[in-house]
Amino acid sequence: MTTYYETYGQKVQYLASDPTDVQIGQVWYNSTSDTLKVRTVSTVGSWASGGTMNTARISLGGNGIKTAALAFGGGGAGTTELYNGTSWTSNPTGLNTARNNMGSAGTQTSGLAFGGTVGSPNTYQSASESFNGSSWTATPSINTARYNVGNGTGIQTAAIYSGGYNNSNLTNVENWNGSTWTSGTSYPTALRDYMLVGTQTAALGAGGYPTFTTGASFNGTSWTATPSLATPTAALGGFGTQTAAIGAGGYSPAGPSYTTTATQIWNGTTWSSNPTGLAAAKTAMGSSKTSPSSSGVIFGGRTNPASPSSSTEEWTGAGVGQTNTVTVT
Amino acid sequence: MAYKYCTAENWGKGFIEHSESSKFQISSFPGNVWQIPANNKDANLWVNKVAGVFKTKEEAQAIVDAEVAITQAAWDALPDEQKTETGTGLNRLRPNAIVLG
Repeated sequence: MTTYYETYGQKVQYLASDPTDVQIGQVWYNSTSDTLKVRTVSTVGSWASGGTMNTARISLGGNGIKTAALAFGGGGAGTTELYNGTSWTSNPTGLNTARNNMGSAGTQTSGLAFGGTVGSPNTYQSASESFNGSSWTATPSINTARYNVGNGTGIQTAAIYSGGYNNSNLTNVENWNGSTWTSGTSYPTALRDYMLVGTQTAALGAGGYPTFTTGASFNGTSWTATPSLATPTAALGGFGTQTAAIGAGGYSPAGPSYTTTATQIWNGTTWSSNPTGLAAAKTAMGSSKTSPSSSGVIFGGRTNPASPSSSTEEWTGAGVGQTNTVTVT
Repeated sequence: MAYKYCTAENWGKGFIEHSESSKFQISSFPGNVWQIPANNKDANLWVNKVAGVFKTKEEAQAIVDAEVAITQAAWDALPDEQKTETGTGLNRLRPNAIVLG
């Protein structure tokens, strides 16, 4: 039998723990877990479990990236948590206006929250707040109070809030320049709860209630219709850019308890379904909205059947290194 | 596709790895019930890793049904205005039964 040494000219490393900075193709034996491990390149995107949130909740806001995400609001509170790629830490203070279903933009240290709902029956909110990494500060309000799950994107000084609901579904778009909200070009269809990713001048919308399939891209001036989602959905978690995005889970009229695990990939031209989906069917979750499509995270939300979730799922796209384990007997 | 079922508590980071979910679908259901493909070596290794307890489909269904019944009862107890499909209604629909595949 040909040995590894004869083929590759070196022995397999025998290590008590996994090495850091592993390279594609690297092989080692973990003596603690008695497993042979190899670093390969993934051929499909996949979800892995992330750290558990301290507070389970539905209809929360989110922004940031996979290793530095921010969760806020939802569950009728203003609770704010920070994710470092491994675990969630509760921020000492939350939103000044506790709320659900708000728009969100920015990063973990430079975030923005706007609109939403408070109470039951719903009171539609116009409040806007900015986050500096430790506390929220009130900023000028949006012009049309409304709620939305996912329809905001951009950065703290250049955000866009599109569509939503205030006793009827809306087409209203507002743009934030860091100081004021002003009306922008209306979304093509009156919808709420669609995913909106990208920037103020290069955004992508997809799904939403009640059509579930509407898609549109924005160039800073006008909206152009884009192909439908592969799985009709509203209130899905999304991140990425106008030309490369991920939509995950969401409210699905065909799904059990109206939720889905579907993971949908946008390549700038069409939406396709990833072979595997989320572990948990969920909707109205937060997401790391500014993540690239190759690496993001979603968190919280309503699971099947109707419970607030504290789980986090981390996305890694195809073509990214992953460690595979082989059990040795 | 044929499935197997187990119960296991999701401890968070590391519970499901990319190297696992890229090979087979792991689906969660109420009551810490997990569904994996039957006759799949990688799936069986995952169940072993998470100290999962295998359940028959009937046992898993009973666990799920009990959890759904709890959420349905909670929904039924809500005031009528919270049951409408306006406002945040997409999150306020009555939980329906879940039938394991």
